[in-house]
Amino acid sequence: MLRFLASRLARALLTIAMVVTFAFVVLRLSGDPALLIMSVDAPPEAIAAFRAAWGLDEPLWMQYVKYFGAIVQGDLGRSMRDGRDAIVLVTERIPATLALTLPALAIKIGIGIPAGIYAALHRNSLTDRLVMTLAVMGFTVPSFVLGLLLVLVFAVQLGWLPSGGDGTWRHAILPVVTLGIGGAAVLARFTRSAMLEVLGQPYIRTASAKGVPWRAVVRGHALPNAAIPTVTIIGFMVGSLIAGAVVVESVFSWPGVGRLLVVAVSNRDLAVVQCILLLVAATMVASNLIVDLLYGALDPRLRQARAGGAG
Amino acid sequence: MPLSRRAALLCAAAVTLPRPGMAQADQRPSITIAVQKVVNSNTLEMAREQSNVGTRVFNSYSEMLIDTDWIGDLSLRPGLATAWRRIDDRTVELDLREGVRFHNGDLMTAEDVAFSFGPDRLWGAGGRQAGGALFAGGAAGAAGKAPPPEVSAIARRTYPGFERIEILGPHKVRFVNRTPDITLEGRIARNVGLILSERSFSEAESWLAWARRPVGTGPYRVAEFRPDRDLMLEAFDEYWGGRPPVRRIRFVEVPEPASRVNGLLSGEFDFACDVNPDQIADVERNPRFEVVGSTITNHRLTVFDRNHPQLRDARVRRAFTHAIDRQMIVDALWAGRTRIPKGLQWDYYGEMLQADWAVPAFDPAEARRLLREAGYRGEPIPYRLLNNYYTNQVATAQILVEMWRQVGLNVQIEMKENWAQIFDRNAPRAVRDWSNSAVFNDPVSSLTAAFGPEGQNQQVGEWRNEEFNRLSVELETGTDRARRRLVFRRMLEIAEREDPVYTVLHQTATFTAKRKDIRWRAAQSFLMDFRSSNWGA
Repeated sequence: MLRFLASRLARALLTIAMVVTFAFVVLRLSGDPALLIMSVDAPPEAIAAFRAAWGLDEPLWMQYVKYFGAIVQGDLGRSMRDGRDAIVLVTERIPATLALTLPALAIKIGIGIPAGIYAALHRNSLTDRLVMTLAVMGFTVPSFVLGLLLVLVFAVQLGWLPSGGDGTWRHAILPVVTLGIGGAAVLARFTRSAMLEVLGQPYIRTASAKGVPWRAVVRGHALPNAAIPTVTIIGFMVGSLIAGAVVVESVFSWPGVGRLLVVAVSNRDLAVVQCILLLVAATMVASNLIVDLLYGALDPRLRQARAGGAG
Repeated sequence: MPLSRRAALLCAAAVTLPRPGMAQADQRPSITIAVQKVVNSNTLEMAREQSNVGTRVFNSYSEMLIDTDWIGDLSLRPGLATAWRRIDDRTVELDLREGVRFHNGDLMTAEDVAFSFGPDRLWGAGGRQAGGALFAGGAAGAAGKAPPPEVSAIARRTYPGFERIEILGPHKVRFVNRTPDITLEGRIARNVGLILSERSFSEAESWLAWARRPVGTGPYRVAEFRPDRDLMLEAFDEYWGGRPPVRRIRFVEVPEPASRVNGLLSGEFDFACDVNPDQIADVERNPRFEVVGSTITNHRLTVFDRNHPQLRDARVRRAFTHAIDRQMIVDALWAGRTRIPKGLQWDYYGEMLQADWAVPAFDPAEARRLLREAGYRGEPIPYRLLNNYYTNQVATAQILVEMWRQVGLNVQIEMKENWAQIFDRNAPRAVRDWSNSAVFNDPVSSLTAAFGPEGQNQQVGEWRNEEFNRLSVELETGTDRARRRLVFRRMLEIAEREDPVYTVLHQTATFTAKRKDIRWRAAQSFLMDFRSSNWGA
């Protein structure tokens, strides 16, 4: 087990190093932070002064070495726009983002999984087709379109909810629903597919033939086996809790990590972008690790195979 | 002194009974304004924040010595100085307004003026602060009182010949330049020259803390500023210009134009700024709302890079300028709500205005003739384009490309993400977009500032003309008004006709959607005026 964890940790560090390097190269080669932060109309002397102050006038390789060295020492740098520590800027936005993504995750799981199971158990029925039609719609409509539609109906026409911003729980409803609907649709489709595959397995027929009540067959044999692909998808969703609401936060003017990322990327505010990417990468890696561990808990064969490999 | 029973009763009544002023204050409305950005730099210090968005907010909390009539004729008018006079070509003497209070309660004095133009605020260490690290740069003013180096660079550009502020008395100062400059009054009126409290600076923890909560003299004080989120201003009832009409103003960032309009229509916002022209009809379909706005002191331009092989011949660039039906762009994309100006100049230039000047005429036959003479054979010419950095930018570019195609120019759009990619020299540059403002009423604020030897255009190596450069220097330092007029005329001839570096497309307009029941007028600028003179008018 320890060897498994060590190997996962090494791979995670390599992934993070690659993310950091890739982001640095792309961001530095595709835009000049001085020009973007100071604005195109700023005097050339001001832009030059900004470059000198932040070391942007040094060779790119030297910037990279300094930057990577600082990260290795735990220094994530300062925002060029803000002057404050990037980690402070990012962490103060996390609660706002989680205020959207956690309830949205609950909606995804709370609606998506039961809907998928119900559709699978009533395959080809009217309900199945209705659920799948809604799922396809929820899956295919882009979140910014869905968000604007919800705003038009519930804020502009009916006046029931705010169209954007933050401050009260009512402000969170539309963005949470926008995020939740798409994810629930994805989960419903995956859960249905996984359930249908499991329900077609010989051991399900065997259990039914032996006279096990259908509910017990579903609960005891179908659901645990169908859980593995569903858990994988949920793992991805958990991994994107931090930066999975970029578009929705922009549409609803929600002051979370997603909006900070948009602003930071458009200004090439490297320290902030890198800080967010590191956080996202770390969340993804942690989430994948948990999913891997859950596989073992859900499927004894995987647990035994891992134990055998380790021994 | 013993307190009599009557006096005690009077005191109690004074404390407990509602006062007319307070009752009235409570009745003032609070408004919310949706903007794309509050400020770009995340500071409210205009010596750092040189942007259109920052222009929208600064005059609510701070003021300059010389104000500009942005609602009216754009003339200079008394601000924190009640009068000013020329002592000589290098010196302007100003009488400071008496009884003006800062938001911290202090009376404004000549020392505050000296501070506002002094090294602590504008000039810093006075030199280039090099050697910062990419991630550990401390130059943003987060620690210490020194302003970021870009502040002094902006100050040097705004006041290139600044020497000193002379204090002649508590309410009299002199702005002294090293070199003759007949545009000093206009420069003093720029927002870099806003007057801020010296005490508030000395008491602040750091430059950044101060720059996020500047203490000025404006009708509203900064109550709360949350970077990248919102700015809350509160009425400053001791404002010298009378009690502000609004209790609270909240500028809230809503990046999406559709979301700003939706928020207005749903009643969350009272104003929605930067409404696209194609949204105007949607807003005005609702009888409770209207769109106000007008042309501002900014022109949209197409800029040429003379280094491109096809553009070295001025006749090809002139063909570009004659192939554009500007009125068609104004009608199709701006619903006729803007206009075609007389080249890169504005009416408020006064005696410097070249009233008989015009942009090159729409003349496709002339454009074709010029291309024939130049021997242009349809070689591709790249047009680097940003995705709607300017309103209607992409649609305008598509129309332009078709107009140019009509006369035989093979212009190919290359979409770019940011300005660094627009200016990138590693591939051939030829055509790009720009806009240009006149920040005060003289051509040195636009033509010289943008296209002169120190302007961005020449700094990035797009164009250079020796005669134009000589004239630029003369325009900046000359004091003979008649001669300056001639110089400006000749510069326009060179830059717009003989050796075109740009061509003006149209004047920029900005539109603000608002509640119709709020009587408020838009300025000829991005600036928003919420003083009593512009509320309920």
